[in-house]
Amino acid sequence: MSAGIGCRDLRVHAGGRELLSVPELHVASGRTLAVLGPNGAGKSTLLRALGLLSSHRVSGRIVLDGRPATRPLMRQALAAVLQRPILRRGTVADNVISGLRFRGMSRREARTEAWPWIEALGLESLVGRDARSLSIGEAQRVSITRALAAGPRVLLLDEPFSGLDSTTRADLLADLRAALTGQPTATILVTHDRQEALALAEDTALLIDGRIRQHGSTAEVLDHPSDAGTARLLGYTNLLPPALTGRAHTLVARPEHTQLVLDPSDQTDDVRGTLRRTVALGSATRVDVDTSAGALTCLHLGDVLATELPPIGSDVRVRIRHARSLTS
Amino acid sequence: MDVLFDGLVDAIGLLLSGDRDTWSIIALTLRVSLTATAIAILIGLPLGALVALARFPGRRIVLAAANTGMGMPPVVVGLFVTVLLWRSGPLGGLGLLYTPTAMIIAQSAIATPVVVALVAAALQQVDPDFRVQMRALGATPVRAFAALLGEARLPLLAGAMAAFGAVVSEVGAAQMVGGNLAGQTRVLTTAAVLATSQGQFSLSIAFGLILLLIAFGVNLSLTLVQQRRTVPR
Repeated sequence: MSAGIGCRDLRVHAGGRELLSVPELHVASGRTLAVLGPNGAGKSTLLRALGLLSSHRVSGRIVLDGRPATRPLMRQALAAVLQRPILRRGTVADNVISGLRFRGMSRREARTEAWPWIEALGLESLVGRDARSLSIGEAQRVSITRALAAGPRVLLLDEPFSGLDSTTRADLLADLRAALTGQPTATILVTHDRQEALALAEDTALLIDGRIRQHGSTAEVLDHPSDAGTARLLGYTNLLPPALTGRAHTLVARPEHTQLVLDPSDQTDDVRGTLRRTVALGSATRVDVDTSAGALTCLHLGDVLATELPPIGSDVRVRIRHARSLTS
Repeated sequence: MDVLFDGLVDAIGLLLSGDRDTWSIIALTLRVSLTATAIAILIGLPLGALVALARFPGRRIVLAAANTGMGMPPVVVGLFVTVLLWRSGPLGGLGLLYTPTAMIIAQSAIATPVVVALVAAALQQVDPDFRVQMRALGATPVRAFAALLGEARLPLLAGAMAAFGAVVSEVGAAQMVGGNLAGQTRVLTTAAVLATSQGQFSLSIAFGLILLLIAFGVNLSLTLVQQRRTVPR
C-alpha cells in the first residue's frame, strides 16, 4: 500500500454497541478525502480511530505509510484540528509552534519553521496576542495554522468550519485549500457540508450510521446518490417513487430542481399534488406540495409574487427539471 | 486595644531578638506544614487527576469522599492518627506518637482530601478534549498531561494554597498527636493556645501574628506564581 493513511476491518464499539464498521479505506499522500455524513453518523469516531486517538474499543488495522500504525509512528505523522479550537495559555505564536515543540524542536527553530505558515494563513498581526483574547474564527485559524506548521504527513480535520460565520468560513476555506495544494499530506476532512467537500477534497466518502455507503471522486459522489439515505444527505430531498412518475426506478431531485407549474396553459405531463404551504425565504420561495407518495419541496429562486401562487389546498402540478435515478 | 498593640510589639520583639524558642517554633511550624502539604500534593495530585480523567467504578464515591474530607474536623483526624500510633495500636511499634512525624502524618491526612477534590475540579474545568488535541499534535501522554497541568495552573495553585492554609492553621490534630512538647512538637498554633490558657495574651497574639505572617508569605509566593502574566492582553 502506498504512502498515506488507511484502515482495514476497522470497527469501533462503545457501550456494547457498534458505532462504526469500515472494511477498507485509504487516503494517499497529497490527497484529501471528505467524509460527509449527518450528525451522529460516526464521522468523528472514524477520524479519532484513524488517528489512534479514540477512547472507545477499536479493532482492525490502521495502516500508516503501508505499515501497521503504532502510537509513536502516528505521533510523528499526525496533526489534527478539532471542531472547537482548543488553544493553550500563551501567545498565538506559542500555540502555533506547539506541535513542533512536541516533536522536539527548540523554540527558536520552531518559530523559524512555523513562520511561513503564519504568513500563509495571515496571522502575522496576531502572533503576540494572548490566545484567550481571540474570536472563535481567529482561534480556529490559529488551530489550523498550528496543525499545518507541524508538517504532518496525516492531517485530520474534524468539522473545523462549523460554528464560524459565513465570511470567516469562506476565507479560511480558501486559505486552507491554498495551503494544502502541493503538500505531501494525506488529509481527511470530516464535515456535513457539501460545499466544504467540494472546495477541499478530491475524494468523498458518505458515512451513514457508521458505514460508508458511497466512496469515489467528490464530483461523482456528490451528484450520484445511490440510495434514499445518501440522496437525502446530498440534498436530493425529494423522493419520487415509480408509482408517482411511471418510471422503472425511484427518482430523486433537489428542491431547486423541483418547481410548481404556474402557467395553466403548460400541459406537460407533471407530478400532481395539493399545495400545503408557501414560505417566502427572501431570495427564494419554498413551496410544499403533498402528493399521493409523500411530500415534495419546491424552491423557486428569485421573487415570486404571492398573487402568482395558487391558494393553499388547491390542486397543483410539479415539474422535476433535473433528477437522478436510484438503481439500488 | 492595649493587648493587641502589646502583642504586635511582642511579635516584632520576638522576631528581631532572635529568641531561640520562638524561631524553633517557627521552623517546626514551617517544616511540618510544608512537608505535610508536599506529601498531600504528591498523593492528591495523581489521585485527583485519576478521579478527574479516568472512568472507573466508584469514581464518584472517591470524589464525594474527598469532598467530605475537605470539611473533616482536624480533631477527628487527630483522633484516628492517635489511635493508629498509640503504643498498643496497629502502628504503635514505630514509636511515632508525640513526634513531628506524627504531626506530619496527621496534617497530610487533613490536606490530601483538599488536594484531591481541588485537583479534580481544576482538571475537569479544562476542555475534555484538551489532552486529545495535544496528543493529536504529537505530544506523548506524559507531555499532554503536563500541558493539562499547565493549563489548569491557576486553580491547581489555589488548591495548594488551600491545603497549606488548612494545615498551618489547624490546632486539634497537632495538639493530639504532637502533644505540644516544648522544643520538640510545639508549633505556632499549639503555642498560641497554651499561651492563651496561661493568660499570656500578648505572647499569644504575637504567635498569632507570626502565624498570619507565615501564611501570608507562603500564599503571596504561590499567588505571584499563579498570577504571573506572560502575555500582554
